[in-house]
Amino acid sequence: MKLALPSFLRTTTFKLALLYSAMFAAFSAALLIYLYYSTVYYIRAESDRRMDLEFEQLGNAYFTGGMERLSESVFERMTRNGSTFFYYLEDATGRRIAGHFQRMPAHNPELDVQTVYFDIDVQEPDGTTVVRPAAGRIVRLRDNGGALLVAFDTAQQTAIVGRIQNAIFIAAPIGLVLSLLGGLLISRGAARRADELARTAEAVMGGELGQRVPVRGSGDEFDRLGQRINAMLDQIEKLIESTRNTGNAIAHDLRSPLSRLRNRLEIALSEPMSKESAEATLSETVEEVDRVLGTFNAILRLARLEAGAEGERIRMDVSELAEELAELFEPACDEAEQSFKSQITKHLTVLGDRDLIGQALSNLLDNAIKYTPAGGTISLTVARGPDGMVDLTVVDTGPGVPAEARDRVVQRFQRMDSARTQPGSGLGLALVDSVAEMHGGQLILADGNGPANAPGLKATLRLPRA
Amino acid sequence: MFDTDQENPMRVLVIEDDAEMASFIEKVLVEAGHSVDKANDGERGLEKARSEDFDAMVVDRMLPEKDGLTLLKEFRDAGGTTPALFLSALGDVQNKVQGLKAGAEDYLAKPFAPAELAARVEALGRRQPSGQEAPVTVLKAGDLEMNLLTRKVTRAGKKIDLQPREFRLLEFLMRHAGQVVTRTMLLEKVWDYNFDPQTNVIDVHVSRLRAKIDKDFDEPLLHTVRGAGYRLQG
Repeated sequence: MKLALPSFLRTTTFKLALLYSAMFAAFSAALLIYLYYSTVYYIRAESDRRMDLEFEQLGNAYFTGGMERLSESVFERMTRNGSTFFYYLEDATGRRIAGHFQRMPAHNPELDVQTVYFDIDVQEPDGTTVVRPAAGRIVRLRDNGGALLVAFDTAQQTAIVGRIQNAIFIAAPIGLVLSLLGGLLISRGAARRADELARTAEAVMGGELGQRVPVRGSGDEFDRLGQRINAMLDQIEKLIESTRNTGNAIAHDLRSPLSRLRNRLEIALSEPMSKESAEATLSETVEEVDRVLGTFNAILRLARLEAGAEGERIRMDVSELAEELAELFEPACDEAEQSFKSQITKHLTVLGDRDLIGQALSNLLDNAIKYTPAGGTISLTVARGPDGMVDLTVVDTGPGVPAEARDRVVQRFQRMDSARTQPGSGLGLALVDSVAEMHGGQLILADGNGPANAPGLKATLRLPRA
Repeated sequence: MFDTDQENPMRVLVIEDDAEMASFIEKVLVEAGHSVDKANDGERGLEKARSEDFDAMVVDRMLPEKDGLTLLKEFRDAGGTTPALFLSALGDVQNKVQGLKAGAEDYLAKPFAPAELAARVEALGRRQPSGQEAPVTVLKAGDLEMNLLTRKVTRAGKKIDLQPREFRLLEFLMRHAGQVVTRTMLLEKVWDYNFDPQTNVIDVHVSRLRAKIDKDFDEPLLHTVRGAGYRLQG
């Protein structure tokens, strides 16, 4: 059976915090060890240097004034206040000449220079005597056979080193504990924020689509993640909203033709009819059904388009396509007593689906023809747009679309009320927008060149040039 | 429903598993003056297509035992030449291309108007290889004549000036003289568009063409068939 760890101990952040504190501990240990050895080395070197200085000065006395001068010098130093050194001088026979001690500490008489460690009795100011460790150097006097010892109390050194050791032994575990605690705090903070994300996700799953991840404004990774998730939720909410609206709009848009259909059939059933009027009723009915089917097809097409299931990308000449469509639509404008103008820059190519772009441009032209009154003008322009784009623009002299309604008319089934009387599925501009989007372009609606009361519509299908 | 005085009755094989759809197709084709034989799965359909001689066949894409694409491929690989119309609920261009690649002469998406089906099956019939005849250079329909080499069009000896697109439109109508051609067929075959331009653009082009070929003559050649399309009188 596995022991259940507290949740924050199982988090990635905690593991990272643990790793971090381990690294911190290793680094601190290395630093402390370095500090310890360099301090000890420094203390040793410093006492060696001072010892060298003593021997140099005493050596000078010996070389200039012989044993006599040396012993004077030793006496003088022994009585000097604040001297930290201990001395002992003996002659060739081993007789004590001067010094703090009664005899030379144990040493090897064969060596000219040697270091010795021994204990000394030190008088404390209160009169008691304590035994202290000492280190000294014994040097044989040349041409004489005597020996000189200079020693110092190592207790102070040992105390300093001991204090450093203590400091290290106390500091290291405290540091370790603190870094662990820090890690825990950090990981609990992170775990709490991860929990906030999880709670938001659960709320959204539970149907509360309006729930958002709290953002603290600190700009850290969690904030950025939270903002992204919130943006995603906004998008999803918008999509769901639009799907819901679309569903309602489909129901609404199909209800009227279906009820008309029903009424017509009802009447046909209840009234005796001549063959001619029965035929007329039936053919009207068929037309009505065709319109409903057409709407369904448009919905399906749009759905497939948005799911990316339709369309292939080939390099195609949109100028050529626009010229063909101009030729195709021009007579229809003529028929509607509208004048048609086209200005097409040659050989502009895009990477796209000919049928989809053709459909999109047809929808724009079709809209223009529907909404432009007789005597109006429709123009089709194909030109280079900004930033390597190509602009396919249709401008009409109809009533136009007010700026505040432009977003709406691009959505499915959102037609301006004035347009409800016109035939059409209400999916035309939505399809143009989808086609633009799937080609990495956009549909831009603006006012045409007309007067304020009927500015006309300028619809630009902007596609990346290839 | 539409004209039934069939000058070119055909034997059509309908391979369709949905019984209601199959009888609907049969009804449409019989009304158009053709005779129909039905098969309700892919295996039986292929067997019939191989063993009997049909003028055209209508093949549904989704079939039990053997799907339409495979059926048609196998039929063509074995040397079958009967022209085929592919029928499918999958109406987008890629599916269309797949169908044509598998050896279909034409492709029609469900739901379709009966007139559309009748017109397309009719058009298939004329695709039958016409023996060892020399390639056609002059098309005739009544007193209308089109020379494909000189690109001259005359009616009763009188020259008619046509725009290039009008020429192609008339050429298609003349090649299918006596048959009903639908707006969608014209869009696909004359303009090469697989999308719906919505506005009655085709009607306007046809009426312009009509103005040129019929205006100065007593007997109109280009007729509108209500609810279906157009027919150039043969």
